[in-house]
Amino acid sequence: MKNDTIHLMGVYTGTIMKSWFQYKVDAVLRSLAVFLREATGIIVIYFTLLKFDTLNGWDIYELLFLFSLLFLTYGVLIIFFTGLRDFGRTVRDGGFDRFILRPRGLLFQLIFSNADWFAAIGHGGLGIVLFVFSAGNVGITWNAGSVIYYITAVIGGVLIQGAIFLFLATLNIYLLETNSLKELFYWNMRKFAGYPISIFHKAIQFCMIYVVPFAFVNYFPAQYLLRKEDMAGYPSVYMYLTPAVGAVLYLVTYGFWRYSLRFYKSSGN
Amino acid sequence: MIFFENVCKFILSDLSIHIPQGKSLGLIGPSGSGKTTFLKLACGLLRPESGSVHTMRLIPEKNRRELSDMTGTFFVDIPFFQGNDTVESNFRDLKIIYRMRDDIFDKEYHALAEQLGFRSFEKETVKQLSLGQRRRAEIGATLLNRPKLLLLDEPAEGLDQTAKDSLREILKERRSEGTTVVISSHNMEEISAICERIALLDHGVLRYYGEKEHLLKNFAPYEMMEISFSGKIPDMEDLPLKSYSLNQNKLKLTYNSNYVTSAELLRHILAQTTITAVNTHKSGLSDAVSRIEKGENYELY
Repeated sequence: MKNDTIHLMGVYTGTIMKSWFQYKVDAVLRSLAVFLREATGIIVIYFTLLKFDTLNGWDIYELLFLFSLLFLTYGVLIIFFTGLRDFGRTVRDGGFDRFILRPRGLLFQLIFSNADWFAAIGHGGLGIVLFVFSAGNVGITWNAGSVIYYITAVIGGVLIQGAIFLFLATLNIYLLETNSLKELFYWNMRKFAGYPISIFHKAIQFCMIYVVPFAFVNYFPAQYLLRKEDMAGYPSVYMYLTPAVGAVLYLVTYGFWRYSLRFYKSSGN
Repeated sequence: MIFFENVCKFILSDLSIHIPQGKSLGLIGPSGSGKTTFLKLACGLLRPESGSVHTMRLIPEKNRRELSDMTGTFFVDIPFFQGNDTVESNFRDLKIIYRMRDDIFDKEYHALAEQLGFRSFEKETVKQLSLGQRRRAEIGATLLNRPKLLLLDEPAEGLDQTAKDSLREILKERRSEGTTVVISSHNMEEISAICERIALLDHGVLRYYGEKEHLLKNFAPYEMMEISFSGKIPDMEDLPLKSYSLNQNKLKLTYNSNYVTSAELLRHILAQTTITAVNTHKSGLSDAVSRIEKGENYELY
């Protein structure tokens, strides 16, 4: 990476931060709104689950630990991949044409000129709260190995979801409207991913492992750290695959993106 | 500089054209005739369905980064700036995007800010600007890195007269430095002032391509002269006039400038009477275009 590319990254991030700090109260309220919106959902689930002792062997803290991974990875994801999440809008308002007319990488411009810091702080903050609340109550022995595993799993989880965003963004090149696909393949799958996948029908499990591999974002990494009995239903190697799945999926999707760019049609005309 | 060979895309059909380096071309034609499509093909935003496009010897869609480093493009439907940031800050982003040296950037930015008049609102965020203010800054941004090729789609739209005049001056200056300029516009006066060549597109077909002077000479040769005189009425019998009218001591003459010049006419009249006032009117680009659009004879360049 050339020096001025890093410089450009800094400029883009600086621009976003500047506009963020320009409206401090607004920024804090928006981040808080995201946090509370997501936290409300978790609180409802929390009180519902209190009625049960366990869910397929998972107690309430273990379930919150599963959730924490989901929120933490989304918090990091959205710093880097907002541009891909909102790619349809960027195409429609002509913003992508602007990127094409500038002498820099398209994906680079998309990624670094957008970051939803409100969502990042809201989701990431909730992820941290849930982690702090649950991690001490699930019997994980934290040592160098488990910390390194946890960090690589978060990176892998970010890449997996980044690849899903990149794939859906690429579909925008072929289709006029992909919001419903995003709803189906990302947001709905993410709702399933809040729970151990073993409680679902086989078809949904298959989707969560092999189609939209959310299981590698939180379920299998949590299994590595928690070693629950329901892991017996899956190959144990899956617990180690999150970084590889993330890297491979991202590279394959990147290839699809590069290939598809040749079919991009400028807006208007 | 720009080479289209049998290009078909949307309404453009079998278009072949070569725009040499350093030339300034006015792209004219009614709405929907393919002007914006032409410009988008030239910069790589669109790919031809058939035929080939080369810009600066590069295939635009394959050499996007090299080409955009050397090309300044302006389209009214493509937002140029980040709305939440100030004008000055957006320019500073461009400095890094185009890898400009600090001293060169400062020189260019300050000159453009003065010439186009966006200095007074450079600290405002783009979304606070009026359309005219934003356009001035956008045009400035298009010109910032002194591109070798300028592709401008209706650049004067939304500009006030002062800004239009400044744009005209800057483009003339850039043209004299060897920059190739291609402008699409509905404003014939603007095209006429800046461009030496004209391409007329009509429903995707190139109806005329050639020198502006050639176009004027062949399709708008008529001039009108109003002469006030005191003394005897001049005899105009042998002159090749298209029309002639006399109202008290005012003569109104219409003539083809290819057959007789205004100087010859004035000499002829002066020999017979005293002229007190002269007023001439030349047919312009819009007259020529209107004749071509009506299907009158024309030659391709």
